[in-house]
Amino acid sequence: MNIQFKKGVLELCVLSILDRKDCYGYELVNNISKSFSISEGTIYPLLSRLKKEGYVTTYLEESNEGPIRKYYELTDTGKNILSSLKEEWMTFTKGVNRLLEGREEYE
Amino acid sequence: MNKQTFMSILRTQLKSMPEEDKKDILYDYEEHFAVGLSEGRDEEEIASSLGNPKQLAKQIKANYMITKVENEFTIGNFFQALFATIGLGFFNLVVVFGPFVAIAATLLSFVVVGIALVGSGLAVIIAMFFPQFLQNAPHPLIGIFTGLGLISFGALWTIGSLYLSKWFYLLAIKYLKLNLNIITNRRMKND
Repeated sequence: MNIQFKKGVLELCVLSILDRKDCYGYELVNNISKSFSISEGTIYPLLSRLKKEGYVTTYLEESNEGPIRKYYELTDTGKNILSSLKEEWMTFTKGVNRLLEGREEYE
Repeated sequence: MNKQTFMSILRTQLKSMPEEDKKDILYDYEEHFAVGLSEGRDEEEIASSLGNPKQLAKQIKANYMITKVENEFTIGNFFQALFATIGLGFFNLVVVFGPFVAIAATLLSFVVVGIALVGSGLAVIIAMFFPQFLQNAPHPLIGIFTGLGLISFGALWTIGSLYLSKWFYLLAIKYLKLNLNIITNRRMKND
């Protein structure tokens, strides 16, 4: 997948995954990697920025195996941001799709 | 690169950050290694899929500086954020740096002009009380009204310039953030 397409999309993906379920970092990377490849390390600077902006909060929870996990949870602010980002994305992709299919030429 | 090397590079590069933020982000990477290891991956492979710790540290620092200047604006914070973002190696910032300084200087001069107008208005009014020092002194009322006019015009001008500066500042921050996103993704490509 072209790198330009991923620009800014990572944030949308992270927020969207967290909207469905609280995750720890590794889990998030795994989930995203199922859809497209990312450099795993870049997710943490992003998460820390989202936390500073107040879009997510964190809490620690023990796990059956391995270390204590730091879970990321969407805040109300985060939810609002997500819905507006989602809308922007939908409008954008709809426009691009229309262009790609050449429909706009005949309108 | 093994886990220890990766973590120690990251720790060294982040040493200028406040202890709490540093701990927070270092924990994330510790956890990432630990979970990866428990899934049977080896340290070298996890480290290489995480990416270059030096580049990651630069990103983290730029993120930190930008949030800092957003929360508390000082000229110092702003330039730290600007240079941290330039440190990421994005040429665009250098290209816009000149225009940025030019616009900032223009806005500053606008504010100075506004303040000077207020000052001259005050001077005119004060002068009216000392007609003995003036040649061809106008009627005092004309002087006072001219002074008041200058003061109010200067005040409006200053307020307008300050608003413009604020917009410009918000735009500049937005631009820095945009750069963060681009860098994040450029790194992905290289790895």
